[in-house]
Amino acid sequence: MEIIIDGKKAAVQEGETILQAARRNGIDIPTLCYSDALPGITSCRICMVEVKENGVTKRVASCAYPVHEGMEVTTDNETIRRTRNVLLNLYSARVPHNKDIKALKEKYDVPEIKRLQVNKGETHLAENCVLCGLCVKACEEMGTNAISTVFRGAEKKVGTPFDEPSDSCIGCGACASVCPTEAIQMTQENGVRTIWDKTFELIQCKECGKYFATAQEIAYVKQKIGNDMDMALCEKCKQKGNAAKFKEALKAELDI
Amino acid sequence: MAKILMIHPDKCASCRNCELACSFAHEGVFNPNKSRVHALVWERLGLGVPLMCMHCDDAPCAGVCPTGALHRDEEANGVLWDKNKCIGCKLCVSACPFGNASYDNETKQVIKCDLCGGDPQCVRICPNQAIEYKEANEGVMAKKAMYAEKFKKVFEEVE
Repeated sequence: MEIIIDGKKAAVQEGETILQAARRNGIDIPTLCYSDALPGITSCRICMVEVKENGVTKRVASCAYPVHEGMEVTTDNETIRRTRNVLLNLYSARVPHNKDIKALKEKYDVPEIKRLQVNKGETHLAENCVLCGLCVKACEEMGTNAISTVFRGAEKKVGTPFDEPSDSCIGCGACASVCPTEAIQMTQENGVRTIWDKTFELIQCKECGKYFATAQEIAYVKQKIGNDMDMALCEKCKQKGNAAKFKEALKAELDI
Repeated sequence: MAKILMIHPDKCASCRNCELACSFAHEGVFNPNKSRVHALVWERLGLGVPLMCMHCDDAPCAGVCPTGALHRDEEANGVLWDKNKCIGCKLCVSACPFGNASYDNETKQVIKCDLCGGDPQCVRICPNQAIEYKEANEGVMAKKAMYAEKFKKVFEEVE
């Protein structure tokens, strides 16, 4: 199947989205809330493109819109730039000090829109979250469902139930890892990991003493792969132990 | 025919060039910490054991992965990691019973053998063929089974 992206013919596969097709063909479309692992959130709207099909021109979110035979896609024109500029100015008003939003603004030459400016000195000093919901989806995918968006309107935020440490959080940090604006803080110090106000005493490797995982992570792994293997060792010591077995076997074989 | 990686600890000369070749091929640096293969060495005995991902048929890392980033690839006949699908939960590292996967916080990636797309660099650099990449034909599989049986016996004695 073929479509036209930015005036050039591009070979695409049935069922994929415009974004996937464009990226595979080396055409850059910016995104915040998109991840191949967690598609279909479509909240950030940064990936808007213009689509012309059946004589109709419309703007769509390229991360969710499937390709159709013969469609014409424009990823960069006056309308798209205007949309992107407004969006990034709005994000910037919410998280004025976030470096990822700043970098996007710089990359796409986004001018400051006067009516969307905030007093950067006073408001939202520590805010880095753009409420895209990628972290929530990641937690859902893990099957833990520890976080969700809470409240509506200006109060909306991502949090655990009643802002209390969640029972279901296993401390894996997938939410922090997928966050496009580094808004989720996970700290680890002296054998204690903290995330979403929950502290986890990390398990120490029986051999080398390295803190390597939370008890909840180990329980999750055991439950998911359904075996009862010994998980008291960090990955390095597990490997060392295996090698040592080979060594003993060789020693016996070579009689040394 | 599908190929498999085979290790021969009895042939390993403990030079650890495989680690350098691996980290250079993947990360562009000579850093054994970033290598997918590790040769564990007992210098006094003159023994070395090269270890990397076993590409298990029923891989626990793929079993625990919530997004299918780690998956069994039939074409490559191995367990591969898809960077774009990884959400960084790092549970594969805990799930691997052999400790053959690790996570690099710096580059946000799972460090695990990917068979170099069919041309393993550790195999190329190894001077003694202690690591081989061979067609999984009957002869090779029989040899592998023989090795496994032999080691299994000694493993049991050790434990």
